[in-house]
Amino acid sequence: MISKAEIEHLKDLARVEFGAKETEKLAKDLGEILEYVDKLKSADVSNAPEMTHALEGVKNIMRLDSDKKSELSKELIDAFPEKENNYLKVKAIL
Amino acid sequence: MTILEFHEALKNKKTSARETVISYLDKIKKENKKLNAYLEVFEKDALERAKEIDEKIASGEEPGELWGVPLAIKDNILIRGKIASAASKILGNYVASYDAFVIKKLQKAGAIFLGRTNMDEFAMGSSTENSAYGPTKNPRDMSRVPGGSSGGSAAAVAGGLAMAALGSDTGGSIRQPAAFCEVVGLKPTYGAVSRSGLIAMASSLDQIGPIAQTVEDAEILFNAISGKDEMDSTSVLKKSSGAAAKVKTIGIPKEYFGEGLDAGIKKSIDAIIKKLSQKYEIKEISLPRTADALSCYYIIMPAEVSSNMARYDGVRYGARENGEDLVETYKKSRGEGLGLEVRRRVLLGTYVLSAGYYDAYYSKAQRVRALVAEDFKKAFAGVDLILAPTVPTSPFKIGEKINDPMAMYLSDIYTIPANLAGVPALTLPSGAQLIAPHFEERRLFEAGKFLEQ
Repeated sequence: MISKAEIEHLKDLARVEFGAKETEKLAKDLGEILEYVDKLKSADVSNAPEMTHALEGVKNIMRLDSDKKSELSKELIDAFPEKENNYLKVKAIL
Repeated sequence: MTILEFHEALKNKKTSARETVISYLDKIKKENKKLNAYLEVFEKDALERAKEIDEKIASGEEPGELWGVPLAIKDNILIRGKIASAASKILGNYVASYDAFVIKKLQKAGAIFLGRTNMDEFAMGSSTENSAYGPTKNPRDMSRVPGGSSGGSAAAVAGGLAMAALGSDTGGSIRQPAAFCEVVGLKPTYGAVSRSGLIAMASSLDQIGPIAQTVEDAEILFNAISGKDEMDSTSVLKKSSGAAAKVKTIGIPKEYFGEGLDAGIKKSIDAIIKKLSQKYEIKEISLPRTADALSCYYIIMPAEVSSNMARYDGVRYGARENGEDLVETYKKSRGEGLGLEVRRRVLLGTYVLSAGYYDAYYSKAQRVRALVAEDFKKAFAGVDLILAPTVPTSPFKIGEKINDPMAMYLSDIYTIPANLAGVPALTLPSGAQLIAPHFEERRLFEAGKFLEQ
């Protein structure tokens, strides 16, 4: 089971809000889901590696760390929720 | 009309692209209100494109296989200049600034996009009820769900509101709605189709694939959208040898026929096995890790979801709800903009990745995932294809499972293993699911076409 305090902490970590009723249901739902996935605890994985790629033999691909002119800047700036001139406007951080 | 039939008619000047597009637009106008398969219809663009295609044909050009083919596109695949909302409020006003790789390829091939289709928000769900824009209905029975998350695309194809469609599949989101709506759905091999321009849900599992009326149409679309793309480093170029697929033996995994499988579905799969036995050797096989696959998925998927969803914070694009300071703005924007199921998975993912729980959950799940993949590898040493049901039950009623997440999750129990292992799987209108080794989609098409006869 997952405690109320834990849920509050997770909400903070994940930066999401839930209403009071939603939180109550959430505790119940997460409890049920975690109980189900806890079945894995009994699985024997002593010989299994962690699978980090869906395909064998796939490697990370690096590209040159060089500048490239994007043609998208106008569209990206147009998508800002709030802006001043071409600057993205956000609330004060400090 | 199928893609192939339409292509023949277009080539022989029995129809025009414009005439065909208009017939689909009329059908959408008449039926989309009650079906809610489309969130937006691109009427003007579709008619313009059709006109261009007809002019090219009139000038004597030989039409390509996809010229004028009217397609429906899931709302998590970007089309430049169009809204791509992933059926979420937080992206309700988000206009795509570039084309997905698959969109570029289809455009080049001459296809026409009719509109963007409804889905579970950010592809999280199995019924399309998690859309912020209302549920889609199943055209075969309006009181029931079309499945999900690509429910809008499957309903559009099944209801005759599109010739074919694109969906995306993370744990069954193409195959489960294909089975529920009685159409064909393909989840390609992980890496066969570029994910560039697909709004990410769980990146190690997501694949774009076709939903179509026939196996042949799914094959045509798969060939058109697959290939290596430098914008997706996990995409792979696999050259087919050109030789016909040689399917001799088909394995039936006993774990897929246990408790929980509806008797009617079992009966119809048994009939399919009987038909397959006329041409292929049938063998019983075992995929012993099947029972662990769902648990494994419900750790890995939310972990990746919690990370992928972090970008929707109301800062650079999408809906913003201002708070007192920046942190409160994040929380408010996400609290208002993301639906309950998305927030639930974000929280679950945050939990399984938190300090102290990583080894017990995420690391363990990654190891079980390796065992699930090994199951398939071992099985394919003895058989060329696997046949299983796609879903354990027939389509459920709208509202039946929406308040019980665990019951909803269980409807993906037969589709999730293929995503974990990265292998391709094809669902037929009968609900049968064929599974092949990596990059052996052609085996799926061969046996799928035999079953269609």
